[in-house]
Amino acid sequence: MTSGAGSDEVQATLRRLERRLERERKARLEAEAIAEKGLRQLYVRQRQVDLVKTIATVANESRSVVDTLRFSIVQVCHFMGWSLGHVYLCAGPEDPLGLVPTDIWFGDDADRFPEFCSATERTRLPRGVGLPGRVLESGVPAWLADVTADPNFPRAEAARRCGLHAALAFPVLVGSEVAAVLEFFAVEAMDPDAETLGTMAQIGTQLGRVIERKRAEDRLTHDATHDALTGLANRALFLDRLRHAVASHRRNPSRGFAVLFIDLDRFKLVNDSLGHGAGDRLIVEVSDRLQASLRDQDTLARPGGGPVDTGQMPVSSPRSSPAPSANPADGQTTGNQEFVSRAERPRQAVNFEIGTLARLGGDEFTVLLDDIRDPSDAVRIAERIQQALRRPCMIDDQELYVTASIGVASSATGYAAAEEVLRDADLAMYRAKASGRARTEIYDQSMHRLAVQRLSIESDLRRALQSEEFVLHYQPIVSLATQQVVGFEALVRWQKRSGELVPPKDFIEVAEETGLIVFLGNWVLREACRTLRRWQQEFPREKPLTMSVNISARQFVQPDLVQQVQTAMEESGILANTLRLEITETVTMSDSERTVRVLSELRTLGVRLAIDDFGTGYSSLSYLHRFPLDVLKIDRSFVIDMDRSGESQKIVQTILDLAENLGMDVVAEGAELAAHVDRLNAMGCKFGQGYFFSRPLDGASARSLLGTPSPRAEAETGMATELGLVGDV
Amino acid sequence: MLAPGTIGRAPVDRCVAGVSMKGVVFNLLEEVVIRHQDEDVWDELLERAGVAGAYTSLGSYSDEDMHKLLAAAAGLLGRPPREVLRWFGQQAMSVLAERYPSFFARCPSSRPFVLSVNSIIHPEVRKLYTGAHCPNFQFQDTDDGALMMDYRSPRKLCALAQGFVEGAAAHYGERVTFEHLECMHDGDARCLFRITWP
Repeated sequence: MTSGAGSDEVQATLRRLERRLERERKARLEAEAIAEKGLRQLYVRQRQVDLVKTIATVANESRSVVDTLRFSIVQVCHFMGWSLGHVYLCAGPEDPLGLVPTDIWFGDDADRFPEFCSATERTRLPRGVGLPGRVLESGVPAWLADVTADPNFPRAEAARRCGLHAALAFPVLVGSEVAAVLEFFAVEAMDPDAETLGTMAQIGTQLGRVIERKRAEDRLTHDATHDALTGLANRALFLDRLRHAVASHRRNPSRGFAVLFIDLDRFKLVNDSLGHGAGDRLIVEVSDRLQASLRDQDTLARPGGGPVDTGQMPVSSPRSSPAPSANPADGQTTGNQEFVSRAERPRQAVNFEIGTLARLGGDEFTVLLDDIRDPSDAVRIAERIQQALRRPCMIDDQELYVTASIGVASSATGYAAAEEVLRDADLAMYRAKASGRARTEIYDQSMHRLAVQRLSIESDLRRALQSEEFVLHYQPIVSLATQQVVGFEALVRWQKRSGELVPPKDFIEVAEETGLIVFLGNWVLREACRTLRRWQQEFPREKPLTMSVNISARQFVQPDLVQQVQTAMEESGILANTLRLEITETVTMSDSERTVRVLSELRTLGVRLAIDDFGTGYSSLSYLHRFPLDVLKIDRSFVIDMDRSGESQKIVQTILDLAENLGMDVVAEGAELAAHVDRLNAMGCKFGQGYFFSRPLDGASARSLLGTPSPRAEAETGMATELGLVGDV
Repeated sequence: MLAPGTIGRAPVDRCVAGVSMKGVVFNLLEEVVIRHQDEDVWDELLERAGVAGAYTSLGSYSDEDMHKLLAAAAGLLGRPPREVLRWFGQQAMSVLAERYPSFFARCPSSRPFVLSVNSIIHPEVRKLYTGAHCPNFQFQDTDDGALMMDYRSPRKLCALAQGFVEGAAAHYGERVTFEHLECMHDGDARCLFRITWP
């Protein structure tokens, strides 16, 4: 019993130990399972983190979107152990084409899936179609366990034949915009894994940053090289292209080029009269027309007929659609280069089929024509541009007629530097402008000589201002009724040290352009006032002598013009109503509000105001009402033509009637013959000025004229021309 | 060249210097032995082999332990080590199917199961057992429907591979013919198997 009991006890202990062992064993297995699960998660997480980190690092350092995408699909394929990766590209945020295939592939075995690859190259996926199309629509990663069993997978048959089953796709997101969709395929069918999808979403965001950064960079580059208003190339980009053209021509002289320098005629007038907003709109309209006239290839045959190879950075034409053809049947893989240009370029530059158009600033445009055969090609383009501008532009409900002056310089001249080409085209443009509106001039060497000459005039003028080489001449203004000299018009002359007297036509234009006219004008004003004061004292009259002084457009826009006039009057002590300021119609047209204000201020001073060269302007008569004017000066061309042309006589009569109705005085310029004077007198014109009475005289001669009887009396005795009144200067 | 089932004279894989084996393999062997014999036999094996015998699936143990255990089993069972290894592979499959049912569930038959070894099974093994040295197999279909399988590993466990393939076929209730065309134990650079499902 004891042994039995002992044996039972042993048996029981054994069973207890066995159970204990079993419990321990179970606990060990469970612990192992828990640890395995944890280790597995840790392992998976670590790999996911590593993957995202690897891709993020490359994405941060890379400057190429394509390289980064290529690297990423390799990494993802290795991470997943999947066989195939490809990048679909979004054609554009609004593009109905949705996704277009690229040639960015990775395959662990290049020869394994040719059928699927070529099916992909033919397949564009609209929003919502196929796995990538669904990702494009949702903006989140997606996974299909088996594409061959999916009803919405257009390439299912090709996938089945190549033995591809599971598929995963995720978006490259720039903000909320899907820029591309990356897709991956496995040989096996596999169920979706939420963690993997989360990792892919992170990768998509990292890749989006590369695209975003590249876009920002491109935008900066673009902004630095393009005109903000028109989007055309700016001076820097244009010069860069021109440098290439110059270099290319030097390497290969058969590759000719030409530059068109286009400047709108009287653009400032639009800006000043209609405001800068209208000016800007006009510039944009002109820019559009210039672009259109450069696109049209009809009239310009090119050698070989191919597109222009500018030999520079590849920029696609703005006309070619940013997306491939809408016909899915003619599918073509999108090349890297094209991909870059589509995904990474914010706006397109300005390379046309036949040249580069740029806006240098203001109303100045330039065109570079590369690879032309002959300068006559450039002239044809210039003619087309003139033609394109002939239609009026509708700006703010106004019809504006725009013309341009165009200067052409071509490689035929032989250039070493882009700046020289531009300079010469500019010179030719000036020549075109000088010869009238809507003209085209081709640069030749004589223009350069002229330019050099102008430069020398400019520096001489500056010196002359300092050393006071200017003198005033005075042309009498005569009462037609009494033949009395009632006043003078002060006219500036350049008396060089050498004794040479330079007529105004040879220096006034340069003085105007350089702004020297402002200083010169002020001197003229003060000198004329001083002279007038002296003569008024020497020759006192019931109605004191008057002095007319021309105010140039440049002078008129000086903010302190009124102050200058006041100073000149106070210095000399003349009566305000004996000073007459003559302005041209051009002056009145610019910024009419300011014109009214300035003229009114001058009138408040008591100064009399005259419109010079009346009748030759282009503006309406309405300003005669609006501006406080006292005197109309009829342009000499009408007076001289009176005896030959009934038309001119009618014009003169009309002006006289108009002036009378407005209560204005009239001075007829260009009275050269007794017949002129008689007719003007008969028509009721009160004052005249011209060679019949006297040329402009130097101060001494003018003064002595004041001491002699009326010029008409002498003229009638037949002495005038011989007596030094007309012919003495 | 070895005919199917024939056993070469070469000893069971020598320990590869510095290479250790995951504890889970020892656990598998233990389970197979206990399932087909009993716990006493496993104790006997441990004693004969002179190994410590405390293996956890997550640990790593010397390859030498496995060789000793297999040699002990060969002695105990009176069968060549290669046969024991192959038998181990065959029998381990049902244990694996219990432990990791998902690997089997996703494959309808043994052929895709075998083919998933590189892409599914071994990646999963690496997730569980960090630092596991899994061999890479290369597969190629032949025109007559056979599967060529290429195995290269310094462990030269071709018999285990054969056992696994045969065990997988048995799991799916299929028959398979396994031909050993080239063998590293015969001085070849690799082992090449031709597997057919008649």
